Amino acid sequence: MNASQEPIGRVTRCSTRGFVGAVRLPEPDLPAFGAFCSVETQHGKTRVLGLIYDLSIEDDELARQMATADELSREQLADAQTNRQVPLEFSALTIGYARGGTFHYTLPPQPPLTLAAIYPLSESEIHNFTERFDFLTLIFGADRLPVDDLLGAAIRQASLTYPENQRQAYLIQAGRECARFMAADLNRLENLIRSLQI
Amino acid sequence: MAMSLRFPQLLSQVESLGEIAARRAADAARKLPFAMQAIDEAKQIGAAELSDRIRRAGDRWRGAHLSEEAVDQVFDLPPHPAHLNVIGADGSQIHPDRHAAALYFLINVGSILIEQGTGKPPSPASEAAVFYDDDDLYGDTGELASAAWINAKRDVAEMEALARLAEDCLGQPTICLLDNGLLLWLALQAGDQHRKSVDRLLAEYLRQMSRIRTSGAAVAGFVDRPRSADVLGLLALVLTPRDEAAATDGSHPYRGLTDRALFADRLEPGQRSARFVDSSPVNRDFETAGHQIQFFYLNTGGAERIARVEIPGWVAEDPMKMDWVHAGIIEQCKTTGGFPYPLVRAHELAVVTGADRRAFETMIEGALIRRGLRPRLSQKAQTKRWTGSRRRHRL
Repeated sequence: MNASQEPIGRVTRCSTRGFVGAVRLPEPDLPAFGAFCSVETQHGKTRVLGLIYDLSIEDDELARQMATADELSREQLADAQTNRQVPLEFSALTIGYARGGTFHYTLPPQPPLTLAAIYPLSESEIHNFTERFDFLTLIFGADRLPVDDLLGAAIRQASLTYPENQRQAYLIQAGRECARFMAADLNRLENLIRSLQI
Repeated sequence: MAMSLRFPQLLSQVESLGEIAARRAADAARKLPFAMQAIDEAKQIGAAELSDRIRRAGDRWRGAHLSEEAVDQVFDLPPHPAHLNVIGADGSQIHPDRHAAALYFLINVGSILIEQGTGKPPSPASEAAVFYDDDDLYGDTGELASAAWINAKRDVAEMEALARLAEDCLGQPTICLLDNGLLLWLALQAGDQHRKSVDRLLAEYLRQMSRIRTSGAAVAGFVDRPRSADVLGLLALVLTPRDEAAATDGSHPYRGLTDRALFADRLEPGQRSARFVDSSPVNRDFETAGHQIQFFYLNTGGAERIARVEIPGWVAEDPMKMDWVHAGIIEQCKTTGGFPYPLVRAHELAVVTGADRRAFETMIEGALIRRGLRPRLSQKAQTKRWTGSRRRHRL
């Protein structure tokens, strides 16, 4: 399923609720906040589906020293960005899993293993997975994450898998689904709907 | 974890240490103006007379010999070449441990080639070698390889890494940097018992320096926070009347001062001092091989400001290579507070961490088990593990 795609990183730590991947040099667009991704587990029988909610690059004393330098040479900049062992880390929230050609909108039976390759979800996979709004459940259930921004990014991405004349309808339906979860907090709902407007 | 040091016991000793350090600093500050004045007087005395006094001072005298540059001369920062390859190398080692599962030592050399002026990402590398043959471990004498000998072997490996990369840059302006002086100190320290194996190492070290020379590159050793007082030793002869030079007993009136303090007030950022010749006996071996070691002081503009840079005579006498070394080091010190960036990176690539060492020892244990052996730490090492791996009890 992922044979034609390049992995966007490898798992460094994980649980059933999410996983952290690391990549040496990010592509301009991957990984990105709100991007859908997947990683195999259970010897390839299951693919855990995730939504990237955080990207971070750790620093060290040398990076801090160089950041304050007046004259950073092009070579030192290139060295820091391509050679030094400071990977970009991205965290993904588990939003379901795929097994035997079927999507499940609950936590997977097992987390992926360390160093398992993480792939971006193709447009058709995003389309099929987000056809049902059940994928919102695990996002709303996430604790201490930027849930509203994540919802906005995920729904907008899902809408882009539809023909242009169907996107508005998808976004309206997604907004309705979110309203069910956010009925007690209309300010949050209003902000979310505003972020979904084309 | 409970601490082993009983700090109340140390309190009075630490206070005394601070007091003595303050006294030394005051003493050095008192002597410094006289030393500064002596540089000017050295010029007035003239190179011929100073050389004569050095000769009269005899073998016990320790200090810098003169180069053809005047003692008080100061050189401004030359322009940096549009393109300059800068290579740095540094090494680290695991010494043999008779308490470990197997007897070996390991040398890891980190290196980096920066093609300054091209914008290309530098080329980092690290190369490790493990030594376990009886010849490596016991050498000619049958004694287990000493830390000093292994360190010298590491110095040779660093110079070899520089030579290899310098040959890759054939015909291009290139400098090679080492994080230390260029003299192989083991050669000076070794007694007669180890002379043969030390001579072999020294010959190999000099051969690698010759490779760098043939490649057209320059080589320099960068000494951060130097403690040497070689130039002060020379200046002491300025005060010593001609007839008394022969009676000099190796001590001098500037004891407690360092050359670093002397040049901190004389050199502006980017400037270098005159060159001097290292008077260590081992430099004779280097001179015989065509690599007489000279040095100068350089204001890198960083926190420590004054560094000592050692170069072979063939770099010293080539104005173009001197400019590469001078401008190249200053350029590489700009972002790292006065210590060359390639050496920062080479160290990072070379260092063997505790985690690296544990992983390597696990590899060795696996290899032993596959051959039917039962690797075991000594009981002493095992008990150290017991006491060194306390875990915090979490509620």
